[in-house]
Amino acid sequence: MTRTRRQRVRTRLAAVLSAAVLAGACSGGEDVDVGGDGGGGDGGGGDGGSTGGTLIAAISAQPDQFDPHKTQAYASFQVLENVYDTLVVPDAEGQFQPSLATGWETSEDGLTWTFTLREGVTFHDGSEFDSADVVYSYNRIIDQELANAFRFASVESVEAPDPRTVVINLTEPSPALLANIGGFKGMSIIPEGAADQFDLATEAVGTGPFTFESSGAGGVTLAAYDGYWGDAPTVDGVEFQYISEPTAALTALRSGDIHWTDNVPPQDVESLQDDDQVEVGVTPSVDYWYLAMNQAREPFDNRDFRRGVAYGIDREAVTEAAKFGAATVNQTAIPQDSFWYHEYAPFEHDPQRAQDLVAGAAASTPQPMGLMVTDEYPETVQAAQIIASNLAEVGIKVNIEQESFNTWLARQADGDFDAFMLGWLGNLDPFGFYHAQHVCEGSSNYQQYCNPKVDDLLTRAASETDREARKALYDQAAELIVDDVSYLYLYNPDVVQAWAPGLEGYEIRADKAINFESVRLPE
Amino acid sequence: MTGYVLRRLLQSAAVLLGVSVLVFAIMQLVPGDPVRAALGTRATPETYAALRERSGLDDPVLVQYLDWITSALRGDLGVSFRSGETVSSLIVERLPATLSLAVGAIVVALLIAVPLGTLSALRPRSPVDWFSTLTSQAGLSIPDFWMGIMFILIFAGTLGWFPSAGYTPLLEDPVGWAHHLVLPAITAGVSSGSILTRFVRSSVLEAMGQDHVRTARAKGMRARDVLRWHILRNALVPFVTVGGVQLAYLLSGVVIVEFVFAWPGLGQLAFQAVLDRDYPVLQGAVLLFALVFLVVNLVVDLLYARLDPRISYGSGR
Repeated sequence: MTRTRRQRVRTRLAAVLSAAVLAGACSGGEDVDVGGDGGGGDGGGGDGGSTGGTLIAAISAQPDQFDPHKTQAYASFQVLENVYDTLVVPDAEGQFQPSLATGWETSEDGLTWTFTLREGVTFHDGSEFDSADVVYSYNRIIDQELANAFRFASVESVEAPDPRTVVINLTEPSPALLANIGGFKGMSIIPEGAADQFDLATEAVGTGPFTFESSGAGGVTLAAYDGYWGDAPTVDGVEFQYISEPTAALTALRSGDIHWTDNVPPQDVESLQDDDQVEVGVTPSVDYWYLAMNQAREPFDNRDFRRGVAYGIDREAVTEAAKFGAATVNQTAIPQDSFWYHEYAPFEHDPQRAQDLVAGAAASTPQPMGLMVTDEYPETVQAAQIIASNLAEVGIKVNIEQESFNTWLARQADGDFDAFMLGWLGNLDPFGFYHAQHVCEGSSNYQQYCNPKVDDLLTRAASETDREARKALYDQAAELIVDDVSYLYLYNPDVVQAWAPGLEGYEIRADKAINFESVRLPE
Repeated sequence: MTGYVLRRLLQSAAVLLGVSVLVFAIMQLVPGDPVRAALGTRATPETYAALRERSGLDDPVLVQYLDWITSALRGDLGVSFRSGETVSSLIVERLPATLSLAVGAIVVALLIAVPLGTLSALRPRSPVDWFSTLTSQAGLSIPDFWMGIMFILIFAGTLGWFPSAGYTPLLEDPVGWAHHLVLPAITAGVSSGSILTRFVRSSVLEAMGQDHVRTARAKGMRARDVLRWHILRNALVPFVTVGGVQLAYLLSGVVIVEFVFAWPGLGQLAFQAVLDRDYPVLQGAVLLFALVFLVVNLVVDLLYARLDPRISYGSGR
C-alpha cells in the first residue's frame, strides 16, 4: 500500500468496533499483562471431564463464506467465533481481555502499541502461531483493501521484532485500537501464507476451540480441537444447521432435534417464557435502530423540520410494533448497560409542537416524505407503519418505500432518498457508535449531516486517551447529534436466543457473539 | 427419430443462449450490485472499488458477458461473488436434495391424482367426485408456507412423527433421508397433485366418451380391462404433458417449501443469488432450470410416440 493511499483512507475514518476498557489499558506506558491462561473464555469450561456429544445449533441465515477477512455476514461470524481467535477479545461486559496476546503496553505518546503473544498456540493445520502470522493477517486486510481495512485507518505499520512480539505503530493515538483488532472475528489471525495454501472461503484454519470439519448447503460441522490453547471444549463438536423458518427451528428445539437457536421471533418471547420445553435468554444488545433524513434535500435540511419529526414520533409505539416489547427505547445510540451510555432524552411525543415546527419549516403541508425500508429487516417495515401514522397527524405524508436490501444499499449510497430507517450492529466503542456516521466527511454519513462543533468533538474524542475525558467529549457530541436530529434514534433491541433446558455453560451476550467453547449438553 | 432429437437439441442450445442473454440483461437493469450486497453499509469507497475491480465488474457489460459465456461453453460456470465457491460445485452440492424433493413430491402428487382423478371421472357427480373436487381445490388454494408450518406444528411438534427441518443425504442414511423427506414432499406434492387430479379427471372423462370405449363395452369387455386398455392409456397423453411440466417445476427448486423446511435445494440457492445480485450463480441456476424444462419437454414429446402409435417423429415427416 502506498503512502498516499493510506492517507486517503485515514482522512475518511470509518466506523469501528471498539473497546470499553481502553483507557485503563492504554494510557501512557502501562503494562496490562493479565497473565497466561484462559483469556478467551469465561472460565466456565468445567471440571475437565468431557461429557462429549455434539451440540446442534440452528442459525437463521446461511453464511455467505468463511474467510473471516472477507465476509460481512453475521451468520458467518456465528460459526467463525468458534474457530478463529483475535489478539484480544471482549468479555461479556465489552471489556477487552487477552486472547492470542497475553498483554500489551502503549508508549507515552500513545502511538506505539506492543503486544506480547501467547506461547504454545498452534493452528488447526499444526503450524505454530507467532508474530509473523499477525503481521501477515493484518497486512492482508490493509493491502487488499478488504472489508475491514477501515479499522486500520490510523495504523501506520505492523511489525514483528521477534516471534513473540507485535508492534503496531499509529499515526495518531487511537483508544479504539483494541476494539478495532479484537471487537469481532473479522480481525482473526490466520497462518502466514494461508490465503495461498487454503481456500479460505470454504476452509478455516484458526487457533480457536473448534476445527472446521465440513460445510455443505445445509450446515457446517465443527470438531473440538485437541491442541487448543485454552480449556478444551466440553462437547465433541458443534453442528450448525441453517433453519430460516422460526416455526421449524422452535419445533426442532422442542422435540430435541437441536439444542440451541437464535431464530426466535420477538413476538414469541412472551409465550416461550412459560414453555418448560424451552429456555429463553433475553439480554439488551449493543445494536441500535434509527431514522435518518437526507439533509441535502429540502425541507429535511431544516433543523426545525427534523425536530418536528422527532417530536412527532411516538417511540414507544414504534418500538412495540417493531420488536413487540423486546427492545428499549433510547434517544441516543449507546445502550444503558454500557459505560459510554449518556442519559439524554429531550424529545417527548408532542404532536402539537411537532405540527408547529413542521408547518413553520415546510413550504406547504402535508409535506411528502419517502421513507425507505427493507424487507431484509422486517422490523423497519413494521416500524414504518407507525411512523407514517404518527407523522400523518403532524402534517407529513409518509410514503413507505419498501426495497430489497440490495436496492436499498444502492439508493443509500447514491443519496437517492428522503429518509430511511436502519440499524447499526455490534458496536462496542463510542467511536463505532458515532464517528463515521456524524463527522462531515464520514464514510457512513449518508444523511449528509455537518456540524463543525460535532466534528471537533468527535475528532478530539477519537484520540483522547483518558477514559473519563473521552466520555465527556462523546456525551457532548451525542447531545448535539440528538438535538440536530442527525440521526433520530429509536431503540436498542434485545438479543433473543433459545436453548434446550439443561444446557449449561452458555452465555448470551450483548454483542451477539456465539461461543460454544464451554457449553455442556443436557443429560 | 434421431434426426428429430438432434434438431430438438440444437433448438435447445439456441434457447439456452437466449435465456443466458436475457438473465444477464435483466440483472444489469436491476438496481444494486453484488459488491454492495457483500460489503453492507460500512465499506469505504476504497474497499468498494477494490472489490469491484477484483470481481471484474468494472469491465464493460459486453466483455463480462463474453467472458462468462466462453468459460461456460468450456464447462466453467464461474465463481460465486457471495461465497467464492465455484458455481458448478454449489449446484452439484444442492442437486441431490432437489432431486430427492422433486421425486418425492411427484410420487405424492401421483398417489393423490391418479386414484382420485380416475375415481371421480368414473363416477361423475357422485360423493367421490365432490370430495375430489373439494380436496383438489383446497390443495391449490392453501399456500405452501402455511401448509408447511401446519405440518411442522402437527406432525413434527405435537405428534413428533417427523423431524421439523433439515435434510440427510440418501447415501449417508437412507432411513433419515426418508424421514426428513416426508413432510416437505407432501407439502410440495399436494399442489402438484391437485392440479394433476383435475387433469386426470378430465382426460379420463374425455377418453370414456370416445367411440372405441363404447364399442369395447358393447362387445362385453370387462369394465376393468376397458379402463386399463382403452381409457387410461388414452388419458395418459395429456396427463404426461402436464405431469412433465409439474416435474420440471419441482426440479427447479420449490423455494418456499425449501425455505420452510430448511431444505438445501436449488430454489434457495437461486433465490439468495437474486437477493445478492450474485450473477454467476443466478446465471448457472437459471441455465440449469431452462435445461431441465427443455429436457423434460423433449422426453414428454418422445413419450407421446410410445403412448400413442399415431404420433411419430420419423425423419420423413
